[in-house]
Amino acid sequence: MIELRNVSKIYGQNTIALRNLNLNIQEKEFFVIYGPAGAGKSTTLRIIAGITQPTQGDVLRDGESILKVAPENRNMAMAFENYALYSHMSVYENLAFPLKASNYSKKDMDDRVQQVARILQITELLDRRPGFLSGGQRQRVSLGRCIVRPSGLYLLDEPIGHLDAKLRHRMRAELKAMAVDMNATVALVTTASREALAMGDHIAILRDGILEQVGTPEEIYSLPQNEFVASFVGEPPMSFLDVEPVQTDGSAALHITGSEMSLPVPSRVAQSLNGSTSGYKLGIRPNELSIASQQDEHHPTPGTVYILEPLGYCNIISVKVGDGTLRVVVDPTTRPGVDETIWVSLNGENIHLFYNEKAVVHPVEDQKVKLNHNHH
Amino acid sequence: MAKITIENFVKNYGDVKAVRGVSFEIADGEFVSLLGPSGCGKSSTMRSICGLEEITEGTIYFDGKPVNDVRPRDRNVAMAFETYALYPTLNIFENIAFPLRSANWPDDRVKEKVKDIAHRMELESILNNMPSELSGGQAQRAGLARALVREPSVFLLDEPISHLDTRQRYRMRQFIKHIHMELGYTMIYVTHDQEEAMALADRIVVMHEGIIRQIGTPDEIYNQPADDFVAGFVGEPPMNFIEGSIAQVAGKWVFQAKGQSFSLPDYWQAYGGQLPAQVKLGIRPFYIDLNLDPNTPHDIEGEVFLSENLQDLSIVSVDVDDLRLQAVTTPSFRPERHEHIYLKFSPVYILFFDLQTGKAIRPKIS
Repeated sequence: MIELRNVSKIYGQNTIALRNLNLNIQEKEFFVIYGPAGAGKSTTLRIIAGITQPTQGDVLRDGESILKVAPENRNMAMAFENYALYSHMSVYENLAFPLKASNYSKKDMDDRVQQVARILQITELLDRRPGFLSGGQRQRVSLGRCIVRPSGLYLLDEPIGHLDAKLRHRMRAELKAMAVDMNATVALVTTASREALAMGDHIAILRDGILEQVGTPEEIYSLPQNEFVASFVGEPPMSFLDVEPVQTDGSAALHITGSEMSLPVPSRVAQSLNGSTSGYKLGIRPNELSIASQQDEHHPTPGTVYILEPLGYCNIISVKVGDGTLRVVVDPTTRPGVDETIWVSLNGENIHLFYNEKAVVHPVEDQKVKLNHNHH
Repeated sequence: MAKITIENFVKNYGDVKAVRGVSFEIADGEFVSLLGPSGCGKSSTMRSICGLEEITEGTIYFDGKPVNDVRPRDRNVAMAFETYALYPTLNIFENIAFPLRSANWPDDRVKEKVKDIAHRMELESILNNMPSELSGGQAQRAGLARALVREPSVFLLDEPISHLDTRQRYRMRQFIKHIHMELGYTMIYVTHDQEEAMALADRIVVMHEGIIRQIGTPDEIYNQPADDFVAGFVGEPPMNFIEGSIAQVAGKWVFQAKGQSFSLPDYWQAYGGQLPAQVKLGIRPFYIDLNLDPNTPHDIEGEVFLSENLQDLSIVSVDVDDLRLQAVTTPSFRPERHEHIYLKFSPVYILFFDLQTGKAIRPKIS
């Protein structure tokens, strides 16, 4: 539906916000743009909206360029993080305002405003003026102003970032459900990995103006194409250890830097090695590991407990292995002491392997999906 | 290192009552987190401990000595704020050494001390670099190292990692916790992020609207919240609350809400009479079992609003009449919108709160 083709944006002399970005947002999908601060996420939204012009490249809608179409004629609705509300109008009037231009009957207008207010949990604020609202409340009214009227594409820039945890969880589900019910097309910007995974049909990950990967939440999570995506998606983040390919008894293994430990690897991992002995890192997610107090066949790798973080529903244990640290999520009753030696279920099978930051191997259950390195 | 005592501490800014009389003690070498939403009084409390704010009422003691009238620099307090301004013209070694040079430490002791702290903070390889050459995480660690190097009586951190991205936040958490264990400083950590407080602190002081709601270990705060504010503020996704009534039906104590009812957990049956007629039930999303089969044992039933797959887990929102509940389940279980679903609460994790006061109600076993 919306396509960004080779879009670059340079501010001033040489501040590069976007480099040669290609994106495809399909009809009726929830598309999430995710990345750290300064990645170019908001610039991307603004270019789609037509508020910002790309330095190079094209923006197409159903195959036709819309670069010359004015923002107000693009049939898009955009919610900014800090939306200017009309201070002399009540929240109700602010929400109803975008509907006045359309041919809504008074009753339809009222129904829609009440519905949006219910979804955003601002019904009790409808009579107030914006000046009497908290930051989070204003953010919800702004969002309401954006989603109250039908639009071909909703552009949402961190719409729930400033809300407290309770509201954030609730709003996340409400927004997603509303998009599904309305068959709406949504592009949402976020810096929260859980928001991206929960809401996106597809997720585009940007860093420094470059598209690092685009895919379904499952692809992004299970088949990260590089170390950045692997470390930036999922919480607690993936752990990484420097490793060096070695030969033991004629078969391939990965020696963990700074340790005595070498992990024998299966042939599919061995085949991915290129003969280099440096530049390799293994990666593994904290919820894919377990620990034992004694070595056994499932827990071959020794490590030393560095710290333990109790989170109530689980504990995160950081374990020093060689020069690196692994995080392991365990149940709340598992509490090994600091500096204790424990055994981790790390082996050569269940790992992601990266060479010079690019993924070369993923854990075995994901081998069904072919690796796809064509984005660079 | 010092023990810190805060006694009937009040802080007003004009007519605004920021802190309304709080008392607590921080043991020598303890790691305490002041946790609460913005405006709860946590930063005012910390700034008064530093001496940056005048105390309206009450007394703050360091090792039993009142410090109300002691100037900030004489309290031997080190602070780390969210922004660590390193001196741009000094290399990292000299940045860390700065507080020691100011205190006229001899050169060999400066070297020894800086090397030790740099080793602990994994900064050895960048001691000769300039601040502009550091990554965000390195600059954070260098800032922390500079604050830690002079062995303060108490080390105060005010939202030190809240603007970092997830990876850096987790890494700094590891460092801060490990450093505390190694150096044993008294540490006060101010945050609005409940997970940071849980992960780091020996004890958490939960504040809200200028008063202390609860002081306890992370375990106590999480599993035995003093009231519905603490219960709802700590834990993510947040705890579910259901308002309902307690009644005795056919000799069994039951909880009734939204036209449904279920028996109280066994351990409550002997004490059901202690519960008020109207209560608020609390249950965390992690402690709800979901099932699509009506024949499985369940407490209440509802309709699926949405399933969210976060890959490592799923969050299922369920509507029970006009009430929205959230349950955490395995990522493979993803019921469809509007499906009828049955919920079983893990009995030991069911909490009750007084509807009026919000206070937790626990059985008094005589």
